[in-house]
Amino acid sequence: MTRHGRPPLSASTLFTSANFTLSLLPIRLAHRIQALRNLPFIVVSNPHISRIYNIYIHSLSTLLPYQERQINTLEDEIQFTEVMADLVQTHAETIPILARGFLECRKYISPADVTKFLDEHLRARVGTRLIAEQHIALHLSSQPHCSGNNQYVQDGSSTSIGVIDTALRPAETVRQCESFVSEICELKYGVRPTVIINGQPNTRLAHVPTHLEYILRELLKNAFRATVESGKEREPIEVTIAASPDPSPSPPAPIQLDPVTAPSQGDAITANAPPGVTIRIRDHGGGISPENLPNIWAYSFTTFGDEELLDLSNGNVDALNAISGANGGSSSLAGLGYGLPLGRAYAEHFGGSIVVQSLWGWGTDVYLKLRGLGKM
Amino acid sequence: MSHVYDLYYKAFETLRRMREIKSVEDNEQYCKVVSETLREHLTVIPRLAMGVLECQDLMRPEEMDKFMNTLLRSVGSLKLQHAQTLILLQRISRRVIAEQHLALTETFNSPWHFPNAKSQIDPNSEFVGEVFLRCNAREVVEACWNRASTLAKEAYGSSCILPGIRIEGHLDATFPYILSHLQYVIGELLRNSIQAVVERRCVSTDGPQPIEVLICEAPQHVIIRISDQGGGIPNEVMPELWSFSKGPRSQTHLSNLSQVPKMAATMEELKLPDPSSDKSIVSDGNKKRSYDGSLGSLTSRPPNLRLGMGLPMSRVYAEYWAGLLELHSLEGYGVDAFLQISKLGNKNEQLSTRASMDAV
Repeated sequence: MTRHGRPPLSASTLFTSANFTLSLLPIRLAHRIQALRNLPFIVVSNPHISRIYNIYIHSLSTLLPYQERQINTLEDEIQFTEVMADLVQTHAETIPILARGFLECRKYISPADVTKFLDEHLRARVGTRLIAEQHIALHLSSQPHCSGNNQYVQDGSSTSIGVIDTALRPAETVRQCESFVSEICELKYGVRPTVIINGQPNTRLAHVPTHLEYILRELLKNAFRATVESGKEREPIEVTIAASPDPSPSPPAPIQLDPVTAPSQGDAITANAPPGVTIRIRDHGGGISPENLPNIWAYSFTTFGDEELLDLSNGNVDALNAISGANGGSSSLAGLGYGLPLGRAYAEHFGGSIVVQSLWGWGTDVYLKLRGLGKM
Repeated sequence: MSHVYDLYYKAFETLRRMREIKSVEDNEQYCKVVSETLREHLTVIPRLAMGVLECQDLMRPEEMDKFMNTLLRSVGSLKLQHAQTLILLQRISRRVIAEQHLALTETFNSPWHFPNAKSQIDPNSEFVGEVFLRCNAREVVEACWNRASTLAKEAYGSSCILPGIRIEGHLDATFPYILSHLQYVIGELLRNSIQAVVERRCVSTDGPQPIEVLICEAPQHVIIRISDQGGGIPNEVMPELWSFSKGPRSQTHLSNLSQVPKMAATMEELKLPDPSSDKSIVSDGNKKRSYDGSLGSLTSRPPNLRLGMGLPMSRVYAEYWAGLLELHSLEGYGVDAFLQISKLGNKNEQLSTRASMDAV
């Protein structure tokens, strides 16, 4: 993703990026369509799931005409980017809709199968959206004619390369997510636990801010909920940020950072990737019981009250909106069972990981490891 | 390796020939044989480890690890037919059975010969054989800490400031367990932590951060978390952490193993362990060990003798009783170790393939 260089990009580089994106997207969409087709028929007949299916078909048919030609002119590129932006927007609500669909179909498909499908589907989706969004961001920040309030305008001091921020400060993200989650928490429970950040708070990392925000938000939601519901809201949640030291200098190898190779996205990162970050979130919320522990990574598994989930006919959309990546909105503190598995999908996308260690009777420790994304 | 093989072969032959135990005299004879065998087998663990390291190039590391793990856990199908024993558990490993049997025999020897003195046996005796009924997690941790600190002080000199320790959580957690196992595992973890902190402090300027120990008790198990700020474990080392044979420093480990006491072939070099070492927290002076604890020599080795097997061994011991040992590294900061032990009596021991091991 960083191979095209730092924006503003020249026209020809922009075309390369566009063509690159163009070469990948249709294949990915096709795979997703195939996976959907392989679900049991009755599941795909569910109105929500079939809606998603149709969206994918429509997207593929929109992109196919572009495949027949290369993008070599600026207006082609602009048009292509607009189409892409439209697609990104259309697919933005996939997760809540799929969630709803699978919930309604739970009689017809086992939780294990749902998890298997969603795991593959959502991980692929992370990558596909990233490629699309990256191109769009690069395009927008390379606009030769920029109006004054174009948020993507890059000056020399910007640290962003498209959707990647090379100087992201996780501590800041933690504070942002903390305030977001605290508000919901206070709304629901009337109290808000505190968060202490220790370790090396000034660490910086090259990563995609939206991913980190999603993960931290979900993890903090879990920690807050556990803390408050076990009556320990006075106990702070401890977040420790640790930066792996710089590896010993080795001859710089060309860094291929495309998370493109669908089968093994993590392997695409070479060992020369820059040092990463480990974030440990410790709460005193009682831990995860041994009965629940095997299920925490399953999609739709939640210890949240079932009454809220089934109340879908009332259009209880707020809860569902909570988990769609980009928009925050007013959302419940927990409830759909997607936070952990999806968070892990985001973390593992670039070779990171999330590990949950429960101390039943005391609290939970979560270890989030992230790799830095390439050097320029 | 072949030495170990011979040892086992000999033990098998000897035990095979013993008659079924039907009387006290038979039992005495049996105990004598067993304790002799135990002494001879003290060297098994270090020797096996040496053998494994020497044979690194001949076998794939994964197979080697599997072999070591299986061997360490394997079960003898000795069914004790001792009339007077209170047998607590289901099948347990050779050594534990053997040591247990010896300890229990001792317990009952006195009253058997002096029937009137039965009342001398404390009904609330704290030990049932090897199992210490009232392991208090905090006391064990403190005891291991003291021992580890002393060793570290000797090794690093008095100029080096050691980190302190802070224990919190459910401090009263008490449960039955085999004391020597617990001491070994906790000892190893604490030693690793102290070592990491001390060696890291050479580059930092603040005083060392204390090592934090958290004890958490649940109905079925007890979890002990040991957190240090010793700089963490580099990512490259992580996959090989639990292996007996891999690792960048296996050559050093090999030469160090030969320096472990009781490695030498001659038994004369064996001396009885310091009575305070294995029973440092028990004040019950009536019980006296007349045989060697198997982990004694390993536990009291000096810290600069790095054997590279503390973690895999600890894991074997932890998992043996249906427990867990897990390590999480925050590279650049420190390490959290999680030891989860099941309170004895709940679960069967975990042996890798019981069926195949017990098959005749």
